[in-house]
Amino acid sequence: MALFETRGLTKRFLGVTAVDAVDLRIEAGELVSLIGPNGSGKTTLFNCVTGYLASDAGRVFFHDRDVTGVPAHRIARLGVGRTFQLVSVFPRLSALENLLTFLQQHQEEGVLARLVRAPRVRRYEAVAVERAMMLLDSVGLAARAAAPAGSLSYGQRKLLAFAAALMPDPELVLLDEPAAAVNPTMINQMKEQIRALHRRGKTVLLVEHNMDVVMDISQRVIVLDHGQKIAEGSPAAVRRDPKVIEAYFGR
Amino acid sequence: MRALRWSFGGVFLVAVPWIVAAVAPGQQRYILHVLIFTALYGALALSYDLVVGHVGSLSLAHPAFFGIGAYTAALLGTEARWPFAAALPAGIAAAGLMALAVGVPMFRLTEHSFAMGTLGFALVTQIVATNWVEFTRGPLCVTGIPKPELGPLRIVTLPAFYWMGLTAVGLVGLLYHGLTTARLGRAFHAVRDNEMLASAASIHPLKYRMLAFVIGGAVAGGVGTLFASYVGVLCPTELAVSLSVNLLVMLFLGGVGSLRGVVVGAVAFTALPEILRMAPTWRMVIYGLLLLLIVIRAPDGLEGVIRRRSAAWRQPSGG
Repeated sequence: MALFETRGLTKRFLGVTAVDAVDLRIEAGELVSLIGPNGSGKTTLFNCVTGYLASDAGRVFFHDRDVTGVPAHRIARLGVGRTFQLVSVFPRLSALENLLTFLQQHQEEGVLARLVRAPRVRRYEAVAVERAMMLLDSVGLAARAAAPAGSLSYGQRKLLAFAAALMPDPELVLLDEPAAAVNPTMINQMKEQIRALHRRGKTVLLVEHNMDVVMDISQRVIVLDHGQKIAEGSPAAVRRDPKVIEAYFGR
Repeated sequence: MRALRWSFGGVFLVAVPWIVAAVAPGQQRYILHVLIFTALYGALALSYDLVVGHVGSLSLAHPAFFGIGAYTAALLGTEARWPFAAALPAGIAAAGLMALAVGVPMFRLTEHSFAMGTLGFALVTQIVATNWVEFTRGPLCVTGIPKPELGPLRIVTLPAFYWMGLTAVGLVGLLYHGLTTARLGRAFHAVRDNEMLASAASIHPLKYRMLAFVIGGAVAGGVGTLFASYVGVLCPTELAVSLSVNLLVMLFLGGVGSLRGVVVGAVAFTALPEILRMAPTWRMVIYGLLLLLIVIRAPDGLEGVIRRRSAAWRQPSGG
């Protein structure tokens, strides 16, 4: 069975059906892009499957487990990492602390153990710092580890948010427009990062508007329009699909 | 160097009663009284800052928790003749449990509604304390609250109360430091700064809000207990909503979310005006103006001023 699946997922806002009975199946180790014109329901779908929005109908499965209606922090704990469309970092925390924030809960230490800084908590903290530095290094931000995240450039903050999502080593990573509003050099860097993540065996689902990125890195593309899935297949096949061309350019 | 400075500071603070006796023998009682209030206010302000400064929820319920702790311990001490060693934990527990019960529904409200909801709770608590005369004696106040006694240790004299206050603010400071730094602190700050992102980091926002709210409430109850046992009389006016305003002034004056800032704020608000003998009628006016000035000129409070100054000291070339 698929690693991640939605069946008939539906979300309505005041009578507008933003996500309309969408069935998705993502196999473990796949790199899939979700595309569609503005307002086609991509981000809404992301928010429904990660516990930020309650869906009106349909089910969500992760590892064959029904996770419909499970709150966001628990979905994250199950091994689903995500980034947000608008860059999301903790601006007052340093780059390093941003990453550490993403790991600590997985330790599942009691409050008291953390309050008195029990030895095992200290040991784990050292491991966490090491992992965080490795991730910062992989996105080229090691030199900025101590800088407040708010002082980084827009592109750097996107890379930081990406690295933070990887901190707990999630199996499934959902990226909401990783290449939007980023300069071309940074886009290439982001593409490499996503590819590297995929090579390490992670499953990636990304929402992206930049077609070069989508066509270049995806194994499979799913197209939404008006909340409905209108096409699905290899990048080349989707690009030729008349329904997709119509959705993007009109008749 | 750092340790040396700390131990010098500690010795100085402990020695204050003797220093005061040597320097100003005529005013010893008055000065110690002010310092005891300062210490208790400092501990209370720190407990309040856990909620306001670290999870970013503007609660106005703090006077209620202070009062619930104080009334619990005062009534147990006078009516049931409980020893202080039992009444203090009872006061802490009562306030903490009340925070637990009130917090869950309150945190369903966001921002302004949360402030209004907690304000309502504080008002109701004061009204109950005023009007439930058979239980709290209402405006007649609870009187004859026994002095603290911990085994052979009897706290009766002003210096003893001063050391008690100092111990209280020290312990609350340690707790505050432990909660607001490292792993726990990061979780609190994540919830405060970006709730959605905190959830993505598998941090449960409500859990950490409740943790700060309940610990803050319990500590406020403990401070209330100490306050009642020091003053010996407990009246419903002590639970007034204006206490929240005073605490907010201390926090913003000193520096929200900073241990040193909040303590500096408590000293600046409580001790300095007394020592400088500022006219009581003008005090609130001056504080209002000072607060405006701080919010406009130094939004991070005196703590920010101190930090910038010491940074300039360390790097004279930069300044």
